[in-house]
Amino acid sequence: MKRWGLILLALLVTLAVHAASQSTAQTVLETPLNSAPYSDATAVVTLPAGTNITIIERQGGWYHVRLDSGQDGWLQMTSIRMNNNTSSGSSGSSWGFGWLSSLFESGRSGATGVTATTGVRGLNTGDIANAKPDPQATNEITAWSATPQQARQFAHQLDLKPEQVAYLPQVKGAQP
Amino acid sequence: MNARFYLDKMRYPLALVLMLALTACANVNGGGMDVNSLFNTFKTVKQAVTPANQQEEEQIGYATASTLLGAAKPINDPAVQEYVNKVGLWVALQSDRPDLPWHFAVVDSNDIDAFAVPGGYVFITRGLLLHMRSEAELAGALGHEISHVVLKQQLKALQQAAQLNLVGQAAQFELQQHGQNTQFFDSVAGATRNLYSKGLDKDDEFEADRMGVVLAARAGYDPYGLVAVLQTLETVDPKSNGMQLLLATHPAPAARVAMLSAEMQAGHMDRYGRQVEGTERYQQMIKTLVSTSTRR
Repeated sequence: MKRWGLILLALLVTLAVHAASQSTAQTVLETPLNSAPYSDATAVVTLPAGTNITIIERQGGWYHVRLDSGQDGWLQMTSIRMNNNTSSGSSGSSWGFGWLSSLFESGRSGATGVTATTGVRGLNTGDIANAKPDPQATNEITAWSATPQQARQFAHQLDLKPEQVAYLPQVKGAQP
Repeated sequence: MNARFYLDKMRYPLALVLMLALTACANVNGGGMDVNSLFNTFKTVKQAVTPANQQEEEQIGYATASTLLGAAKPINDPAVQEYVNKVGLWVALQSDRPDLPWHFAVVDSNDIDAFAVPGGYVFITRGLLLHMRSEAELAGALGHEISHVVLKQQLKALQQAAQLNLVGQAAQFELQQHGQNTQFFDSVAGATRNLYSKGLDKDDEFEADRMGVVLAARAGYDPYGLVAVLQTLETVDPKSNGMQLLLATHPAPAARVAMLSAEMQAGHMDRYGRQVEGTERYQQMIKTLVSTSTRR
């Protein structure tokens, strides 16, 4: 059991570190690189489609990005397409996962008492197609359910306030 | 209300017209109009789409949830489970079905997926949680699943796929007290295995994306969280095991991003882009996932 945990941990550390290092993307259309995450911010330069970028962070619908030249700016998040990470074989991910890799690293050192999970399993179409019902599990999960009051309190802690937002229109022919 | 919604939304009227037409043709060839067979055809089609009331939906959901939890067990990490339940319920409270008995659960798989089950059950894999950065991203993903439940998409598909009047059987099931060997339970389990390994129509997925971002925004979160999750999934090798089930049952992440992009722009969602991200709370809560093991 313990040995499997260690092997898995090593694997996860590799994947997580790999994940943290992958954050490249390409513009899918000609798009202005803005000086700030707003539509009316000054355009630093107009990027042609297919420009390579590295993502630093996200703010709402905008990515803070860096060009190969070293110049940085803000792009609308929907103007880019992430590069597919076919080399990792499993977990790809991208910017913003430094916390995860440092977590796995601290697990390895034992500093925070975090240990690797055992009993990790896959879930594919075959698992679903052959599933044997487990009503006991369905009964057990209700122990974790929240009450509306708990949910409201929890939202309040993060200053989450209900907003009036209309449902979105269906846009025909939006698919690539 | 429900019945009207069904007639407006579903493809059944088309199927009905088609079947009536075929029946009519058959009878013309046979040399005469058989009113009885026409009536029976109508009755069969109508029976298959009888809308479930909430109690019946919950019973179907119970059997569906039990089948899915047979494939992936809930993780034994009460703190994470309670956290996901609070985020999920807070988002669900902003939906058109706030009063359903909502139950959320993280299931023990490193593969990337999430499931919506009739009656208010939502399951998310550990693997998907580890591919998200913030509570706004989690709210977006849960918003997508909650929307499936609100729109009763799986419920309708299960009823149709089972080729049975599940509603009538649900009433009998009530008398038999959650036994798992009833005919009803087996029928739903069979339909569940089929539906959740093949998935819904693509349009149902796009519709759930479109509603999911709105629910997240209504809950006070940055609605671009779901787009960020989908873009993260774009970076994962589509041939990897972790993506197999998700890609077999959903449109490609890039197609979903493109669709959401157009819709969110049309709906001026950028107004809500500065809402809560919840990065710190999410990362604090999720880090214990690394130390959890299977429930049983």
